[in-house]
Amino acid sequence: MSESQPPLGGSHKRLDAEAKITGQTRYVGDLSLPGMLHAAVAMSTTASARVRSIDLSAAQDMPEVEAILTAKDIPGTNLIGVIFPDQPLLVEDRIRMVGDRLALVAARTPEAAWRAAGAIRSNVEPLPGVFDPIAALDDGSPLVHGTSNLLHTYRVIRGEHEETSSEAPVIVEAEYHIGGQEHAYLEPQACLAIPERDRITVVASCQCPFYIQRAVARILALPLAAIRIEQAPTGGAFGGKEDYPSEPAACAALLAHHTGRPVRFLYHRELDLQVTTKRHAMVVRHRWGADSDGRLLFAEVDAVLDAGAYAGLSTVVAERANVSAIGPYDVPVVRVETRIALTNNLFAGAYRGFGAPQVSVAAEATMDRLARKLNIDPVEFRRRNLLTNRKAKTCTGQVLPAPVLAEACLERAVEASQLFVAGDRNPSFRKRGTGVAMCLYGINLHRGGQFLDRSSAVVILQPDGSVIVRVGLTEMGQGNLTAIQTVTAAALGIDPEQVQVWQPDTTTVADSGPTVASRGLHTSGRAVLDAIRHLRERLDPVAADLLGCDPRAVELAGNEARVADGKSSIPFPKVAEEMAARRIESISTGWYRSEPREFDEETGLGNPYSSYAIACHVAKVAVDPDLGLVRVEHVAAAHDVGRVIHRSAAEGQVEGGIVQAMGWALTEELKLDKGRLLNPGFTDYLIPTSDDVPEISVTFLEDAPGRGPFGAKGLGEPSFIPAAAAIRNAVCDALEVEIDRLPLTPPTVVLATDPEQPFLHGLP
Amino acid sequence: MSESSSITFRLNGRTRTFNVPPGRRLLDLIREEAGMTGTKEGCGAGECGACTVLLDGRPVPSCLIFAVSCDGQEITTIEGLATGAVLHPIQEAMIHTGGVQCGFCTPGVVMTSVALLEHSVTDPDERKRRLAGNLCRCTGYVKIFDAIEKAEQSSGEDHV
Ligand code: FES
Ligand code: FES
Repeated sequence: MSESQPPLGGSHKRLDAEAKITGQTRYVGDLSLPGMLHAAVAMSTTASARVRSIDLSAAQDMPEVEAILTAKDIPGTNLIGVIFPDQPLLVEDRIRMVGDRLALVAARTPEAAWRAAGAIRSNVEPLPGVFDPIAALDDGSPLVHGTSNLLHTYRVIRGEHEETSSEAPVIVEAEYHIGGQEHAYLEPQACLAIPERDRITVVASCQCPFYIQRAVARILALPLAAIRIEQAPTGGAFGGKEDYPSEPAACAALLAHHTGRPVRFLYHRELDLQVTTKRHAMVVRHRWGADSDGRLLFAEVDAVLDAGAYAGLSTVVAERANVSAIGPYDVPVVRVETRIALTNNLFAGAYRGFGAPQVSVAAEATMDRLARKLNIDPVEFRRRNLLTNRKAKTCTGQVLPAPVLAEACLERAVEASQLFVAGDRNPSFRKRGTGVAMCLYGINLHRGGQFLDRSSAVVILQPDGSVIVRVGLTEMGQGNLTAIQTVTAAALGIDPEQVQVWQPDTTTVADSGPTVASRGLHTSGRAVLDAIRHLRERLDPVAADLLGCDPRAVELAGNEARVADGKSSIPFPKVAEEMAARRIESISTGWYRSEPREFDEETGLGNPYSSYAIACHVAKVAVDPDLGLVRVEHVAAAHDVGRVIHRSAAEGQVEGGIVQAMGWALTEELKLDKGRLLNPGFTDYLIPTSDDVPEISVTFLEDAPGRGPFGAKGLGEPSFIPAAAAIRNAVCDALEVEIDRLPLTPPTVVLATDPEQPFLHGLP
Repeated sequence: MSESSSITFRLNGRTRTFNVPPGRRLLDLIREEAGMTGTKEGCGAGECGACTVLLDGRPVPSCLIFAVSCDGQEITTIEGLATGAVLHPIQEAMIHTGGVQCGFCTPGVVMTSVALLEHSVTDPDERKRRLAGNLCRCTGYVKIFDAIEKAEQSSGEDHV
């Protein structure tokens, strides 16, 4: 079955599937060691306060407790944070959000650890807090840090503005309130720290072992080389295990270092929902203009992100939101301002799409508003304004290389959507609507984060012809192990089953940055190709000796080394065996860094990314207007992917992305009260179930090669971004109203159609 | 605290006896005393389905079941599905369709799917409803539905 399928673009068995399907994959929670202790944490339950004292006495005497640590027990620097180290691991005096850590406990059982944590008492002086990002930017608002709540402002300033702005025949203005989102990976945060006195190993569920390495080194005051971080099999991440796992890992490492015993820290679900990072809530104001033929003239965007209490990754999220603000549309005059506000809410971080989904919901809503005002069909209005081979200038003035597949994506998604036939549904879902939305997504890290944009790879040829590969980017479910296996197999001309890709460990690969920005395959795949090139400098001469040809004539294909003229060949394992017999170095390393780019921070003009992926989603919905319920019936997706590396994994990214975006669009509401999450459980925080899933059709366009291996681009985030916007547009189409708030929960939908609704008082 | 009681049940086809304290969850008994860690804990509150096992053939969240209540019953976990090297048809089908991504929901999803197949639930909408207790954040469920369908066809063929 798998033999007959070509590895590239086929759907051979994922290399991690069999272990997962039999329950043999060992996640952190499945690992334990003799003498292992369990960690727990005492946290703040208020969002803004000053700590007067922490009373550990009751907890210290509890049975099975081995250690209780506070800030003064940290041997290194009590600061974590990827970009700005503004967050203490353990509070010294100031509490800035619910969940700020006061003390850590290690005990012989998890129950004992949590019991002791619950017995830790703190005496705090409440301080005023700020919970609204717009209010946080007002003068006189309570300060979260330092002298201003404005963390940073990004801008794009392109084109001459004055006349167009006042003369445009059609202008729309809107203010969108876009909610945050919880990642809800099925495996909560988890890590296991194993001390060796002056060095330490941490096994962690994570997206970036290198971030954890730095955080642990800083907290323990140890050199980076003394910190070994091993990425455990990771049960979903979606950005939620990019920066955040450094916190539990540093806690576990501190406890392990202190007690000399292994310490495991498993979050339970409520804790995970209550304190981990979220997608940024945003307020996006628009003023966009078009001429009477339906051509966009200008776009003004003013976006504010709620960062919560710490900087985290907010600057890089805002940077991406900033340049993603107008979608794949040709707009001659652009003014974007993106501000980041610190508040006392839970802090926001990386989440699939990195700010782009929020601004895309706004952009696509405004596109529909303009279309309605102009009385042009929304699809036709987009056609008139899409980037094309000739009009290829993005928001920042970057010129996309031809072919630009925006129109092709639109047409393919629309065609697929037209084939859908709605079944008989509950008659109360009597309103139906269709919505379309697009995205233009920069693959790899923004120019501002380019210092992180590289990957390491190691390839080890075994004497039997099988191959070990390690890359610095991680597997969290998206399929990177299998993608790298496929790339390696294709480059060496061998069966994928001969290639084993192992999860990264900071002692086996060099710092490769985080697995984010849809860059996993792109970056680590290119690094693997580089490693294979180096390996072949040694392998090809051996094969040439055996074949009696010039090394330059050696080709690898069909599990053989062949002479290019095709006359003689030798099995690949024979070459490996001969290399081993001659004691030729069989390990090689590879490296990839993205191309340098020009970008002006002040004007926001230039080339923030090295390549882009385009996507279009068309959603069909049925709405029960009385109850405000929405059913998404069909989503047609068309994606410009460059090249499909593994087909079912690629489809799985799109299907999973669409359903996750549907949850964000409709039901996933973070109910916050003074910075505290009121719904930290899956009974009240509703993620989509199997019963909510629409029919999904996926089309891949492979005509515009990217810079990844074999022309691949990236898919993890483009698969998420347009869907929520398409669903919002479809609901508005069904109800013939504009709704400028996400998620579209039943009260929001009912209120939009019936503002007098007496039962909905008190809704913002 | 009242005392532990001795209970005996069949776990993946083998008769096992355990001494369990009254509050012990079936999930912990399976993962710790029996050492079978394939069954996962995603919420501990009956909300996610990652801990699903078959109790006398019915899929149940083992995080909500007291171990003592299982005396005399038959329990099947993800470790009990394959026969030697031969996987259960739903396991084969999940691998084939791509229904496994991060894998954390997978053991629970598979156990519920086994019950759907064994109880011959063939209506696709009914299947979707019955699978709704098993959350999956990665796949969007599409390839899981495909796998159930495929497993149904392949086990039909086997039995002809
Ligand atoms: S762990 Fe039992 S239902 Fe989630
Ligand atoms: S495969 Fe990750 S939650 Fe289902």
